[in-house]
Parts: sequence; C-alpha cells; structure tokens
Amino acid sequence: MQPVFRYTHVDTPVHRLHPLVKMAYVLLTLVLVMYPIKETDMPVLLIWLGFSALLWILARVELRRFATLMKILLGTFVFLLLIQGLTYRGGDTPLIVLGHLKLWEADLGVITKEGVWFGLVLCVRILVATSSLPLFVMTTSTSEIMTAMGKLRVPNTLTFMFVSALSFTNLIFEMWNSIVDAQKLRAFDIDSMNIFQKAFRAYIPIITPLILLLFRKANDFQIAMETKGFGAPIEPTEIETLSARWVDYLWLLLIVAVFVICTVLKFTR
Amino acid sequence: MSDEAVISLENVTFTYEGDVVALRDLNLTARKGEFVVVLGANGAGKSTLCYLLSGIVPHIYGGRRRGHVSVVGADPWDEPLYSTSQRCGVLMQDPEVQLFMPTLRSELAFGPSNLGVPRREILDRAQDALSLVRLEGLEEHNPRDLSGGQKQRAALASILTMGPQVLVLDEPTSQLDPLGRWEVVEAIERLKQKGDLTIIMTTHETEEILRLADQVLVLDRGQAALQGPPGAVFNQPSKLDAAGVKTPGLMLIESTLVGGSEQADESTSDEIGRVDLTLSGVAAQIREEVEGGRLVVRPEALSRPQPAEVDGPVVLEARGLTFEYPGPPPVVALRNIDVKIRRGEFVGIIGQNGSGKSTLVKCFVGLLRSKEGDVLFKGESIRGLSVGEIARRIGLVLQNPDYQLFTSYSHEEVRFGLRNVGVPEDEIEERVQEALASVELSEEADLFPFRLSFGDRRKLAVAATMALGPEVLIMDEPTTAQDHRGRYQLADLAERFHETKGGTVLMITHDVDLIARYAHRLIVLHEGRVLLDGPTAEVFGEVEELKKSFVVPPVAAQVSAELSSVGVPRRVMTLEDLYQVLEPRHSGEGA
Repeated sequence: MQPVFRYTHVDTPVHRLHPLVKMAYVLLTLVLVMYPIKETDMPVLLIWLGFSALLWILARVELRRFATLMKILLGTFVFLLLIQGLTYRGGDTPLIVLGHLKLWEADLGVITKEGVWFGLVLCVRILVATSSLPLFVMTTSTSEIMTAMGKLRVPNTLTFMFVSALSFTNLIFEMWNSIVDAQKLRAFDIDSMNIFQKAFRAYIPIITPLILLLFRKANDFQIAMETKGFGAPIEPTEIETLSARWVDYLWLLLIVAVFVICTVLKFTR
Repeated sequence: MSDEAVISLENVTFTYEGDVVALRDLNLTARKGEFVVVLGANGAGKSTLCYLLSGIVPHIYGGRRRGHVSVVGADPWDEPLYSTSQRCGVLMQDPEVQLFMPTLRSELAFGPSNLGVPRREILDRAQDALSLVRLEGLEEHNPRDLSGGQKQRAALASILTMGPQVLVLDEPTSQLDPLGRWEVVEAIERLKQKGDLTIIMTTHETEEILRLADQVLVLDRGQAALQGPPGAVFNQPSKLDAAGVKTPGLMLIESTLVGGSEQADESTSDEIGRVDLTLSGVAAQIREEVEGGRLVVRPEALSRPQPAEVDGPVVLEARGLTFEYPGPPPVVALRNIDVKIRRGEFVGIIGQNGSGKSTLVKCFVGLLRSKEGDVLFKGESIRGLSVGEIARRIGLVLQNPDYQLFTSYSHEEVRFGLRNVGVPEDEIEERVQEALASVELSEEADLFPFRLSFGDRRKLAVAATMALGPEVLIMDEPTTAQDHRGRYQLADLAERFHETKGGTVLMITHDVDLIARYAHRLIVLHEGRVLLDGPTAEVFGEVEELKKSFVVPPVAAQVSAELSSVGVPRRVMTLEDLYQVLEPRHSGEGA
C-alpha cells in the first residue's frame, strides 16, 4: 500500500500555488459536500470532481496514488450502493429482485434503480470530499502549510498537531508494510485474504504491534520536539515568508467562480 | 579544557515508575570542553543518564531521584524542558524520529524559532551548524531524503542551532553504516576540537571513540563499574567484558602481545590518560618484539582452515537479477546480480546502506519480485511460490524485531508461523519448546513479547523463523543497535544452526569483526553490484577495492597485513588468530 498523504516536490502550477489558495479550495470543497444532498446533485458534484481532476492532472500526481485512494474507498462505495439500492425510500423501479422482505412500506429484498442512483451520488460526493485534502498535502510542503496556518492565526500547537498527523500517516503506511512483510515471512499473507478473512483473522495481529510501535514513535517525536523547545510559552519566530502573485489571485478567482456556479446550479435545479 | 565543572552528578540514584532502578549511586563530573564516553550493555542505564542530563527525565519519563544533578549550573529537575534545552542538546539513536520538517533549512530553524531567537540570528546559527557538519548546499533538501549519516548530521546540526553548552549523544552511530558512522564521528571530532562544548556520548563502538575520549564511564546495571581516563579503563579487558563492553582491539593486541597487563599502561596513554594508539604504532611495537626475539611467529599454529570451496549443491541462486524500486524517482537497487549459495555455507554480506543488501535478500524470499532475472531455490525458480511457501525453505529475520512480533505471548509468537504452514498441533508444541530453548527463552514463554529486552525480542524473532525449519537462514543486520554481547549471542545462534543442522546462513552486517569470526565467505555489494565475492580472508585482503564501499577490514587483519614482512600470514582475521600466530618466546627456547 502506498502512502497517499505524502508531499512530493515537483515543479507544477499547483505546487507553486499559494498555500492559502489551495486551502480555500479544500475549504470550499468541504462546504460543497456539506450542502444537503439530493438525487439531482450529480451534475454539480461532477463539475467539482472534474475541476479537482484537472488540478490532479496539473499537479502531475501519479495514477497509483489515486488508485490507492480508490482502493481505500472501494468498500465504502460497494456498501453505499447496496444499502441505498435496498433501502432508498423513493425507489420504485426494481433493478434486481433478491426476494421480498417487507418492512413498513419498503421492500428490502429489491435493489431499486433510484436507490442505486442515490448511492452513486453519495459515492461521488465522498470522492469529491476525499480528493481535495490529499491533493493539498501532496502539493504543499509542510513548512508552507505551517506558514499559511500561521497567517490564518491558527495556534502553533494546533498547526503542529495537523502537520504531525500528516507525517504520522506516512509512518503508519511504512509500518503497516513492514509488519505485513514480516507476517508474510511467517506464511500469513493478508494481501491474499478475502474481506471476511481479513476482518476476522488478519487485522488483529497487525494492529497490536502497529499501535504499540506508534505509541513508541509518538513518544520519540515528543522527546525530539520538546527538547527543541516546542511548547515553550514564547512567541515563535517566523522564518518562512509567503508572497502572493497575480496568478494566485487568478486561481482563487477561478476556484470561487466554479464554487459559485456549483452552488447556483444546486439550489436552482 | 577549563576546570569549570559543567556537569555534576553526586550520588545519583534514579528509579523509573514501576520501581525499576536504572541508576545507582552515580557520580560524574565533566568540565567545559571535556568528552565523556559512557559505555555499557543494553539496559545498563546509558540512555537514562542521557535523559537525566537533558531533562527528558522527569518531564517526559517520570520516576524518583536521589542525589544532586547540575547541568550548566541548573538542575533539569527544577526547570521546564524548554529551559534545559537551551543549555543541553540531546541527539538520539534514530535520526528518523528527530527530523520532522520538510526542508533542512526549516529543520535547523525549528528549535531556535520555538525559543523566539531573532530570525537573522537563527539563519546565522543554521549556516554555522551546516558548515560544521558539512551539509552546506543541502538546505532545501527534505531531511528524510538524505542518507543515514547525513540524517544524523542534520539532526546534530538542528541541536547545535539551539546554542547548547552541553551535548548529549545517545548512541548516535548505532544505526548507521560504516560511511555514516565515519561522517558522524568526524563531525563530533570537529565539535570537540572547537573546545567550547562538553560532550557526553554513549556508544557500543569503543574503537570509534578511542582517540576522542577524555573520560570513560562504564555502567553495569546502573552502577559505575569503571570510571576514569580511557588509558586506565581500557586496560582492564576482563572487567570490561564482565560489563558487556568490547575492549578496543588495538588496546587488547597491545596489552596481550607487547607486555601490557590489566593495569594502567603508561605507554598507551598521555599524561592525562588519553589513549594515543595507532595501528601502525602497535604493529611497529610487535615487529620490535619479534625482531628482539620476545615474540615468535608461528604461521603453522593458525587453526583457521585454509579457505576451501564448499562443494555442496547450490541451494540458492540469483541469476541475472535486476531490481528497480518504482519511486519517484525510480531507483535501481540491483544490477544484474549473479550469486550462487551452496548448502552449508556461512556467507557474510556487507556494503553501504543502499548497496542492495536488503533488496537482494528480500528477492531471495519473494518479498520483492524482480522483472529481470530470477531467483532459484535448489535449481527451481521461486516465481510460482508464495512468500509463505518460500518461508518454509528460506527464513529471513528482518532488522527490526518489533515489526516481527504480533501476538500476546512469546510461545504464541513461535506458534503463529507453524499454524500458518499447517503443522499438526502435537508437533507444533514440540517445535515451540525446541525453538524457545534454542534461544534460551523457555522461561519467558508466557511473557508478552514487547516486555522482553531488545536483544531477547530479536532472539524471539529468530526462534519463530527457525521453528519453520528452513534450510537457509538469512539475518538482516542482526547487530544494529545491539550491544557487544548481544551481537555474538545472535551470531552464535546462526552458527549453531549452521553447525548442528547443516544449515546455510547468510548474514548482513556492518560489524567486520563479527563477520570475520563466523563467515567463511564474504560478498561485498556496491551500488547494486557484486564488488567482491570470495573466502573472507581473501576479500578482507582487497583493501583498495573495499575502500570503494567504505569497508575497513577487522583490526586483527589490518595488524597482520602490517606484519606480513615478519611472516604473519594474511589469513589472520581475528584476535584469537593473531594470538595463535604470535607467541611469547618461552624461557629456554632458542632464538
């Protein structure tokens, strides 16, 4: 499994973009997906997803990273399609009939076309929501994130918690891979197991050492940080400086424009 | 060096929560500019001493303390950690956990900016620190992308920017390869030469600090077993051995062959007891002893057999093996490797980090699958086999034991693999007992594996691998972060597997003394290619080729090379070999 949340230094327009502009993109994405959901939202979500895809392409993010994201979300998508297909209230066009299980007015044995469609809308909404943050952290260096958060007057401790969480995500991936390798060496191959075997047999032997090791690493990080004065009741010195270019304002304008179009479309349809 | 005491510990006893006594009645005084080396086996209390001086105890690890501690005039117990950190910087073993910023420049600024040091001064300090550790030009690099030695020097520089007066170095070279160790020791040497820092360094590598140390403290179960100038401490090999500390090879050779004894030997040390030994100096002294008739060279007494081809069948083979990590950027780790391992061989694999050692053994066990070339076990390609199937034939013990322990009990740990390969329950019990007994962990069978010591966790990982009954055992850097005694215990396990079960052993290590003692054959990898491959003594004889890979032959081999003019054979690899070949002339023997 490859770490999704890892900054890669590449010189692209998205990498060069002012971190606050990228933060605005993440923030507006979150606002968009928090609007009350309707089955007619698909075009709006697809517009924003298309815009995100454009940013992913411009940022030259490798496909395998996107594949990892999809791999993580796949289980959720299948679950949503199935559950919505079977339980969606407005569903009256049968797609697949598994049997008949009447529960009040719903028939839980029938997968409906409307239910599957609503499930699809939910899947796209999740994809929209989850594709913005990885793009932000893959194209923005930690020091830029810290400086940008400083500009927004976010407390230093909170900023560092966020940044540490990002580096811990990478660490978890690395540790996970090392533990899985070690288990393969003792004939325990999680990658070849089906979802049920994984749920019942595989995760506990991985999670036990993973949690213990993470505690240890967290402790080591704490030592390294606190012995470098982190947490001192002193106003930290600002080292990095960020300056906005005209192209950053243009991008901000574009992001806001797409957001406004999506919002208008959503509430006028 | 000034007379001003910068560090002062008086009758210090420290007990961790849970009543584990880590230090007992310890006394230590270090003056400005002094270099104090702290030695001891794993668990002797070295790290606790570092924590105590740097304020990590009690601010991060709690416990009870008796006695008086003063670091640059203040007791770390009585002030917040950020205050202590301005006077006393601490560098830990693992560089990875000390680097968290995206660029080296921001890493160096992290500490002083937390303390509100003005921006201009931070940048000046960073520049000075970079030049001291020789990392200029890498300011915009991500510290995580640097080599091991560079990472540790970056971590060191990030502490120097805090402007400390005391530097505490907790085994700073234990996780590095020979080049990385050399780079870090060189940086430390430059710091010592500046003379304004008091340095406390813990280590297992006594050879490394022989020239640097002003004072040596040997800890044994929390107590000072030996303390004083290095000349006096290192002349007591039996006491050092009892404390699990390796006596530097040159000191041992000198004291054994040039008439030294377990008393302070004035010839090896200067007026304040610093050791001033060089390889050529010791060799010259031995030559004098031989020419003066006090030592006799007896090449025939060398019991190490002449290197002979092991004529067993080929058990493991890499054929035209090339491996590339996808990146970004893509990295070619192995380039057209052809290696044959015969049954019953004990093969050492050495080389710099990144030379392809771990990649090669991971290809051997199927954890990595190459697109070009093939791996064959007993003549058959392993392509069709799963890693689990290969594990029954080839066991690989990885470097970090903590990734290899997954269950709640030590006996369960051994059982885990056996169940996965379908061994019947009654046989499992028998194999578990046998495996735990082989690593002397029978009494710890019911313990939670993470409660075992680091060395025992490694032994448990070996037991769990060996229980699967492999024909080939591969150990990937079993000596990393391991004390002197622990290293030999693990190598002894491999040797027992080799001797009693006729097993084939491959051992990756940076410890040339250890590999010289155990391995019959040595493979040196360099930039993904086989640089040298042959009998151990022959490979260690290729001094110029070895330099490409920054490998220095064992001390005994280097001394014997210097003494070849008086008839010392080049096959001498260990101190024991040297003592066999060079014997004191007994009274009554003719010249």
